[in-house]
Amino acid sequence: MSDDFVNEQHLELRRADVRDALLAAGEALREALPQRVPILVGGDARHGQELVSVDPGLPARIVALAPSATEADVDAAVAAAAAGRSEWAERTPVERARVLRGAAALLRERRLELAALASYECAKPWAEADADVCEAIDFLEYYARRALELDRDGMLGQPPGERNTMRYLPRGMVAVIAPWNFPLAIPTGMVAGALAPGNAVILKPAPQAPACAHAVVSALLQAGVPAAALALLPGGDQPGAALVRHPGVEAIAFTGSAKAGSEIVRAAAETPTGASHVKRVVAEMGGKNCVIVDSDADLDEAVPAIVRSAFVYAGQKCSAAARVLAHEQVFDALASRLAGAVGTLRVGQAQELGVDVPPLIDAEAQQRVASYIERGAREGAVRAQVASHPGAGGGFFAPPTLLGELPAASPLLNEEIFGPVLTVEPVADIAAACDIVDGLPFGLTGGLFSRNPATVRHVVGRSPVGNLYVNREITGAMVGRQPFGGNRMSGTGAKAGGPDYLLEFCRARVVCENTTRHGLVV
Amino acid sequence: MSAEDQILAIGRQLAGNLPRSASPGERVDARLLQIVAGDPALRAALFRFTDVRPACTSVADLGQHLVTLLEDASPASRMGRAMLALARPRATRPLAALGAGGGVQRLAHRFIIGRSVDRALPALARSWDAGVAASVDLLGEASVSDEEAEAYVGRCAEALHALASGSASWPARPVLEADSLGPLPRANLSVKVTALTPEIRVEEPRRGIEDALERLRHLLRLGHRLGAHVHVDMETLDSRETVLGLVLEVLSEPEFRDGPSAGLVLQAYLRDSPAELDQILSWVDEHERRVPLTIRLVKGAYWDHEVIEARQHGWEPPVFTDRGECDRNFEGLTRTLVQAHPRVRLALGSHNLRSIAHGIACVRARGLQERDLELQVLRGLGDDLAHALARMGLRVRVYSPVGDLLEGMAYLVRRMLENTANDSFLAARSRGAPLEELLAAP
Ligand SMILES: Cc1cc2nc3c(=O)[nH]c(=O)nc-3n(C[C@H](O)[C@H](O)[C@H](O)COP(=O)(O)OP(=O)(O)OC[C@H]3O[C@@H](n4cnc5c(N)ncnc54)[C@H](O)[C@@H]3O)c2cc1C
Repeated sequence: MSDDFVNEQHLELRRADVRDALLAAGEALREALPQRVPILVGGDARHGQELVSVDPGLPARIVALAPSATEADVDAAVAAAAAGRSEWAERTPVERARVLRGAAALLRERRLELAALASYECAKPWAEADADVCEAIDFLEYYARRALELDRDGMLGQPPGERNTMRYLPRGMVAVIAPWNFPLAIPTGMVAGALAPGNAVILKPAPQAPACAHAVVSALLQAGVPAAALALLPGGDQPGAALVRHPGVEAIAFTGSAKAGSEIVRAAAETPTGASHVKRVVAEMGGKNCVIVDSDADLDEAVPAIVRSAFVYAGQKCSAAARVLAHEQVFDALASRLAGAVGTLRVGQAQELGVDVPPLIDAEAQQRVASYIERGAREGAVRAQVASHPGAGGGFFAPPTLLGELPAASPLLNEEIFGPVLTVEPVADIAAACDIVDGLPFGLTGGLFSRNPATVRHVVGRSPVGNLYVNREITGAMVGRQPFGGNRMSGTGAKAGGPDYLLEFCRARVVCENTTRHGLVV
Repeated sequence: MSAEDQILAIGRQLAGNLPRSASPGERVDARLLQIVAGDPALRAALFRFTDVRPACTSVADLGQHLVTLLEDASPASRMGRAMLALARPRATRPLAALGAGGGVQRLAHRFIIGRSVDRALPALARSWDAGVAASVDLLGEASVSDEEAEAYVGRCAEALHALASGSASWPARPVLEADSLGPLPRANLSVKVTALTPEIRVEEPRRGIEDALERLRHLLRLGHRLGAHVHVDMETLDSRETVLGLVLEVLSEPEFRDGPSAGLVLQAYLRDSPAELDQILSWVDEHERRVPLTIRLVKGAYWDHEVIEARQHGWEPPVFTDRGECDRNFEGLTRTLVQAHPRVRLALGSHNLRSIAHGIACVRARGLQERDLELQVLRGLGDDLAHALARMGLRVRVYSPVGDLLEGMAYLVRRMLENTANDSFLAARSRGAPLEELLAAP
């Protein structure tokens, strides 16, 4: 298994036969809906239908029915894992890696079907849905290899008479609280990251995406993760909060909003009496991602890249572009070209090829985005807007919108909207742009368009963000190529898909053994 | 004489018609290109400088870019180091900036015929006099909005008018004005679909097709009315299905059955180009048109892009990665196209003496007239060649870009890439490779 990691190839959608196969998979999946997703604890499955996940583009279409996990389910899951997890922890790293890669192979066999599932359950356009499946596979393949590398002895000094070793051991029990916006990739990444070094995992997926999470868990179980080491608890905030507080949970991996993330950090810090550990939290939270456009930027490239960064998947990526800071010398040209480009966006169903902006995830998101846009129009100027989809199905569509002339304190410039809304403003120079970025509480992704290496170096040196993209789109991080994660209020912990991630789920033990007897090295 | 001997003989004749010694200016250019091709770091810095040149608003800005780009690259050649030494001190930096900026301007002038069709007309008329026709290309690619696409169509329409009226008074040049299938327009415009629509989506070619349909119809109507030829260029593979679908769809419409003369491009570097040609030829068989479709066969201008894009995605590159394979495929497609006469008109876009000689030999072998083959070259790359071909009585057309530096940058950078690529025919020729080697079967 020493072969090098390579990213799973995205589908070549420019080929007609590839597209046809994908559309056929979509149809086949649609006919088989709804799926039934159980609570899975220690090998027992309990069905129910309190939790209903729907197609955001046609809410009357039910994608999955699931029970909603309760605190009792949380207790049962922790107990089952506590009783049975040693089986997984005691396997050799090689065996665990084989299982994870087996799960990757199972996902690979079902690539088109899983893309279709993400498309229907979370309104992911085809290219995005396919990328989500690929990223899930990447996480499994990458972490499997990383776990093996971690197991090799490190760079400890070894003078004669002394044997020094450091081993990475699992923390024990990890709760994973996953979002819906990468419904396959992010749960897979967090779960695989925790499983790889030997932890037991309880996955609580987003209530909007239980079926995708179930697909991931099924693949892992089928590949050989013991039932006691992996539980699935579909549900809302309640089981999530119970997991975070639970004394048996040793680490929490979370991806979601800054508000929920901060709440988890706070709750996890309250070490319950009798607890034997301080909880570790790995949190990926929101951003207010800025793209700086310098006076020497190539606008032919910047405009399409910014539009894609802001509007693909309706802006529902934590990495999405939200705010453009343009050098005043190019501001007019850039703003008007951006407006023109936004005007060409097509809003429509995720399953329709050629749609740029799919519906939002749910009615609440639709409400939230609508009120931001309304406020933005009041406080500033709407520079471009595309009417949202007129369809009769009641999908949660939102109009892609470009706003300008907003006051500095406007929430539109400072809060994460998580929707198809972009703002554009002039700055006097690059330093002023950096000051603005610096003044934001977030630090997730950022972009820079400049053709001057000195400017690039300057911004790289000043930028607080976790992932800075130069002269390209600011979304689409690849496992092993662009480890992903934010600084500041955008997150805490190592970058997903990077070399350090597994360490979050490990504790290290160093052993120093005296190997001399009466002066003789034995 | 064997077929291969025929090709060699034609190639030698062609070479014999090329000017024996370059003009002093050209010698300097050739020397510079050689140095640049041999110093990858300098080449990279100069590309980046050329690329950013039109966005620089002052000499100071230009100088600042030049020095940081050179410092970043730390070129190894004497010339590279000399440039850096000149650009670094504040006192001489403006000189270096103006020199390098002027170099880009000179290069641009070599590849771009003028800022507007009106300004280019005198040069076009001179070429015509000398027996060389032109196809005008309006620089500026990738419209991002409807307004930009409309503006492009507006510029194309203006260009068609200007070409049609400007060329009316040109003297008769029978070789350039008819082949055995009928008359050929003097006015000839090349059009880019990425400029015609901002809605090209790789995963849904219909979107771009539908958006561009009316704009292309408008240009074809105008071309028909003015008696001009409209040629649709081919770009990267991401837009091929859109471009091909668009052209075939619009030319299928009854309105265009009687004209105008129109054409499209086949890229021989694409592995699946033989199948693409089959598709085009079956379309031709199914659609009765009074003026036959012109197919411009080229190798393809986006080789580096296609390879890098495929590698980044882990895909098999859609283009040949072996020069010989690409050239053999070009010859295979040439044969198929010559066989397809009179269903289609054939134009070969190449500067490679071997590829051209092979095309001429095929036409002769099939017993066609030489005027049933058009040879096309790019301005700035094939000027000598164009005149040599004209002297041999062949029909030759020079692709002549029009526009300003900003609009032309992407084009210019592609040409520089091509011109400094070590394995291109032109590089081999300017290195002084023996004729036998240049003409050898790929
Ligand atoms: C009038 C005219 C119009 C044109 N219109 C178009 C157009 O619409 N679309 C378009 O794409 N191009 C177009 N071209 C550009 C043309 O593709 C390039 O100029 C041409 O590829 C250069 O080829 P050559 O035969 O002159 O030179 P050669 O040196 O014989 O060939 C160079 C070409 O070989 C190919 N190549 C390079 N390296 C490799 C390799 N390692 N393996 C395989 N193949 C390789 C590349 O295509 C490269 O450009 C046009 C050219 C002309 C003259």
